[in-house]
Amino acid sequence: MLLDLWTIVLVSMGVVFFLAGTVGLLRFPDALSRLHALTKADNLGLGLVVIGLLPRLTGIADGAKMIFVWLLVMLSGACLAQLVAHLIRQSGDFKP
Amino acid sequence: MTEFLLGSACAILVVVAVGLVRLLRGPGEADRMMAVQLLGTGSTAVMLIFGAVIRQPAVIDVALIVALLSAFAGLAFVRGISPNSGGGDE
Amino acid sequence: MPSSNGKPEMTGGMASTGKLPSRKAAAIARGISYLALWLIMMPSARPTDLLVGAGAAIAATWLSLRTFPPATGCLHFVSMAALMPHFIWQSVRAGFDIARRVFDPRLPIQPGFVACPLGFPEGLARNTFATITSLIPGTVPCGEVDGVLTYHCLDLRNPVVQQLWAEERLMARALIAGRRHD
Repeated sequence: MLLDLWTIVLVSMGVVFFLAGTVGLLRFPDALSRLHALTKADNLGLGLVVIGLLPRLTGIADGAKMIFVWLLVMLSGACLAQLVAHLIRQSGDFKP
Repeated sequence: MTEFLLGSACAILVVVAVGLVRLLRGPGEADRMMAVQLLGTGSTAVMLIFGAVIRQPAVIDVALIVALLSAFAGLAFVRGISPNSGGGDE
Repeated sequence: MPSSNGKPEMTGGMASTGKLPSRKAAAIARGISYLALWLIMMPSARPTDLLVGAGAAIAATWLSLRTFPPATGCLHFVSMAALMPHFIWQSVRAGFDIARRVFDPRLPIQPGFVACPLGFPEGLARNTFATITSLIPGTVPCGEVDGVLTYHCLDLRNPVVQQLWAEERLMARALIAGRRHD
């Protein structure tokens, strides 16, 4: 029961952070600010979902793989954020 | 518990789909691409939740592939439209 | 061990304090890391699976040595792993920071650019720093101007540069400590 509660709380928080990412993507006024919302809120949302699901898995190997998926998304998000930020600056379609 | 997990998976899908409004509105290429990245992260999370619901660890592999593909999609986008890469033909 | 890398012009920061590993040492370390990654993704002890994994690890090592030669810098995995909890905590703070601003009806942001001069030399060290600092609250690195990293920050009212310098001190110390240990 306690583990169920753990899952419910953390996965719900994950959904809230996905919502934050979307709201930021829609509300923020310029492309670079939207990039902040995308990279930060979403990674945390996925991380919370992963941590929330961990007690429901059958083996340690699955848990390690799940955490690896999260780290991969975090790393690729961080690298892509830099590349996109560079691109936005270069192309100049932002309002300072 | 199954209902809760399926419900949150649907919630994430809906939230991400709303984010795709950015894909329609733009205005920049980068904005559209960010909406697609959001879709990538969201569908990774949805896959992981599905894997827990149907108790099928192989779905984690699907999530891994989704994450990889969205990373490569983003890289391809950046290379495709960056002016000094020499690889863009659009 | 003698290192025969041909990049003597790296100055300042962490590169001057430690010796870069030789090509062979780097290859072995990377190969073991890739094999470990394979085992996380494919946890099976059957000989055929392990054979495929070893082949994949060798291919990945060869590719990584071609794209990131050891002379461009190296990371000390143990000290990076020791900093992992800090990075994850920063990432959590960043997420809460975004959520707080996004759900506020007044949308309290004041975006702008900040130049942040750093002691890290160009190459893997600076790239790693930039990648990791893109996870801390309110900053996204967006390229270099004359060798100085430029950050876009969400709120110029925050002491962004001081925060980044604190991260730099933290990471430089960990990396130097790692070097001495080598």
